Amino acid sequence: MSKVAMPEQGEKESKSRWRVSRRGFLIGLGVTGVGLAVGVAVGRRPFYRFMAGTLDGASPPGSLSTEPSVWFEITPDNQVKLFVSKAEMGQGIHTALGQIGAEELNITWEQLQVVQGNTHRGPSDSSGTGASNSVTGVYTPLRQAAATMRQMLILKAAEKLGLPAADLEAKAGMVQAKANPSQSLTYGQIVADVTEWPDVDPETVPLKDPSQFEIIGQSMPRVDFRTKLTGQATYGYDVRVPGMLYGAVARPRTIEATMVSVDEGAVATMPGVVQVVVDVEAQFAGVVANTRQQAINAVRALQITWDEGRLWQQADIDALFHFDDASAGFTIQQEGNAPRTIGDAPTITADYRTPFAIHAHLEPQAAMVHVREDGTITAVASTQSHEAVRGDIAEITGIDEAKIEVTSAYLGGGFGRRLTIEAAKEAARLSQAVKAPVHVGWTRPEDMRYGYFRPPTRSQFSAKVENGRIIALNHNHSSAEVAFAFFPGFLQSIMGTDFGAWRGAFNFYTAIPDRWLTSWRPILPVRTGWWRGLGLLANVFATESFMDELAAVAGADPLQFRLDHLGNEPLGKRMAGVLRAAADKAGWSEPVAAGRGRGIACSVDVDTCVAHVVEVSYEASTGQIMVHKVTAAVDAGLFINPDGAIAQTQGNIIMGLSSTLIEEMLVKDGAVDVDNFGNYPLITMDMAPELEVILLESDGQPRGMGEPPMGPIAAAVGNAFFNLTGVRLRQLPFKPAYVKAAVG
Amino acid sequence: MQLSINGEMHDIPADYESGVLLWALRDHLGMVGTRFGCGAGICGACTVHVDGVATRSCITPVSSVAGTEIRTVEGLAEGEVLHPIQEAFIAHQVPQCAWCMSGQMMQAAAFLAQNSAPTEPEIVEAMKDNYCRCGCYARIKTAVAYAAELAQENA
Repeated sequence: MSKVAMPEQGEKESKSRWRVSRRGFLIGLGVTGVGLAVGVAVGRRPFYRFMAGTLDGASPPGSLSTEPSVWFEITPDNQVKLFVSKAEMGQGIHTALGQIGAEELNITWEQLQVVQGNTHRGPSDSSGTGASNSVTGVYTPLRQAAATMRQMLILKAAEKLGLPAADLEAKAGMVQAKANPSQSLTYGQIVADVTEWPDVDPETVPLKDPSQFEIIGQSMPRVDFRTKLTGQATYGYDVRVPGMLYGAVARPRTIEATMVSVDEGAVATMPGVVQVVVDVEAQFAGVVANTRQQAINAVRALQITWDEGRLWQQADIDALFHFDDASAGFTIQQEGNAPRTIGDAPTITADYRTPFAIHAHLEPQAAMVHVREDGTITAVASTQSHEAVRGDIAEITGIDEAKIEVTSAYLGGGFGRRLTIEAAKEAARLSQAVKAPVHVGWTRPEDMRYGYFRPPTRSQFSAKVENGRIIALNHNHSSAEVAFAFFPGFLQSIMGTDFGAWRGAFNFYTAIPDRWLTSWRPILPVRTGWWRGLGLLANVFATESFMDELAAVAGADPLQFRLDHLGNEPLGKRMAGVLRAAADKAGWSEPVAAGRGRGIACSVDVDTCVAHVVEVSYEASTGQIMVHKVTAAVDAGLFINPDGAIAQTQGNIIMGLSSTLIEEMLVKDGAVDVDNFGNYPLITMDMAPELEVILLESDGQPRGMGEPPMGPIAAAVGNAFFNLTGVRLRQLPFKPAYVKAAVG
Repeated sequence: MQLSINGEMHDIPADYESGVLLWALRDHLGMVGTRFGCGAGICGACTVHVDGVATRSCITPVSSVAGTEIRTVEGLAEGEVLHPIQEAFIAHQVPQCAWCMSGQMMQAAAFLAQNSAPTEPEIVEAMKDNYCRCGCYARIKTAVAYAAELAQENA
């Protein structure tokens, strides 16, 4: 089994060793301990091509030219290291990228070691790990880099063996003569002592035909499990370095609080306290101590005066979600003229809402930062973006980014929360004060109350149905910021709308002539942002529940009604494919068991198509909905690791069910009204349904799997409940008390 | 004071003696395989064995476990030989992020030591108070049953 490794701390390397090939690839040469390195700048290729063309192979100036996003190194002992920038947060990305690389490089799985990059050693990735784009974005460039390297090895082996390259083939980490396999060199032997490499054209080097794949498409075991299951893996909360101290930081009760003054009293003399760090202007008060508990105790003893700001209630926030000012809505989709067609006579209207949600990854925010006397910084954090963490630390400390080395440790869950790491900023401030390494690990209440949240949403629909067909559907959508919370103003004005907010709301039923989607963006006093799938779960809950309402109005079967409104374009066909596959497997044409209801819903996200069929029952005395079975069909084009794709589907369904049935964060008296799993519980094994997952490969192009399978789950549960009871649930979550009230 | 952990005696200094077991393990002894999740005994990420009983170390005072035998995830395998529960979790590719998995395995190992041939409802009852945010419940359930089979074969 191949291994995964963290970069060695402090192992700096000169970026100048990379040169840009004529075709925009990056070739590393003559580096101590490395025989050959080939890298590629994913996502920046047009720029690279331009620069390489302009400079005719010479290194263009500036850091952008010499930071590959992914690279291979072959060492003389015939080991292959694949450096990746993507963070492992449970989605199995290191395994999937390793499979893609090993496949095209023709090496054995055992030869490969996947290495998580950091800001000093390893690939650059300013976009971070998220949005289910890791495999999609890297698939072709990674294959091209590997194939280029393979071709360079064959050409060099030809020279060394004195045979024509055409008579050689690469196999299992060796180049051998086709006619006489005993005439061979290992990759390690080939790279030894080479100083000049042929310039291979990555644009024309042949990629393997998918029918020849031996590793892609196989359920290779995850590379990180043995170390994780023996307790040896290092996550951000686990980081320990010599002389490390612990930090804790003061928090206000309310969401709009301002720090007015801090009375340190005798805190500095409390047991274990090393230093009290107060900067009221920066709204910061923290303590460094010998143990975590001492730091926490000391922070609690600080006498801090807060201006609590407005004492918001949930009703005040809910009232911000309205459509009164037509000019404030952004047009997302305008096919035909839905409002005119519907006029004053909609067949039905409906209003849907979803609440704030918390990421609740089980490892709370954590980071270790060491600001040294000499002005260099080392940091390790559980983060989806080590580059963002570096930027934040630079801003806090005033130290140049080039002197800050940030490593992403394993993440105990990510879900969009770890693109910003407040704990790293806090550890940086505290470490700069004490000039020693400081670890800041948030408590669960801190993690629950002081991050950002999935925003509430509201969807208002009207539609006109004629002769069993929808002829017009108008969707007024409202969500607080998702992506825009992280984008500077000038980018917001270029983009116009917050793509994260309406993700999943786009109407893909192209047989509906008139389809409008308009999105409003209320500004809330609560921080909102990325949450797994962004608006996906919330928005599909609304759109696919309303689709079900329309099917009921039309007196149609919910499956057939959906199929009838899909178009003949490739997406429509793929959506029909997942709907039919899930329905067939779930026995849609057979009557559902007595006491059960069955519902269906579908969605598309990052071009991955998903359909769920759900079976529920209902306990009227308690108001509890029980989900018994979920049958999911997923079309992601091509699955690099089918078992990994099944795991992502299962996980998305369970997390989505937790959000559907249980999770709700409210604002009360100006504050977040939850602080731990006692009042924000998660779904448990006894509530988890039987899961069946069907994978459909449509066109051989891999797409994202980290979020899309969550899309339809809430709607499918609501639709199943309607099928059982005739009652439509238009607000998440389906907590027993709310369901009882809706049933009446 | 001293604690016996995975068969070895360890000194616990005064700073950690007054606290809970979790932080003595993690921050003082560097046995970070026992994870922190909630600090309230709810999520189960911090589960260890105290005299063979699955125990939430985040709410267990150090002073209360003096004289007991403590076992953590680092003590599950014997050298390179994995415990059946670890074998089973790898065989069924159970984890995703794996932050909760030490606790899941310690919970399951203590349960299986008491019930070598559990039914599915018994497994659910034993495991239902351990959170997995990544949603690996179906695989955990399967793997616990498989671990029972493995242990039978090895017995």
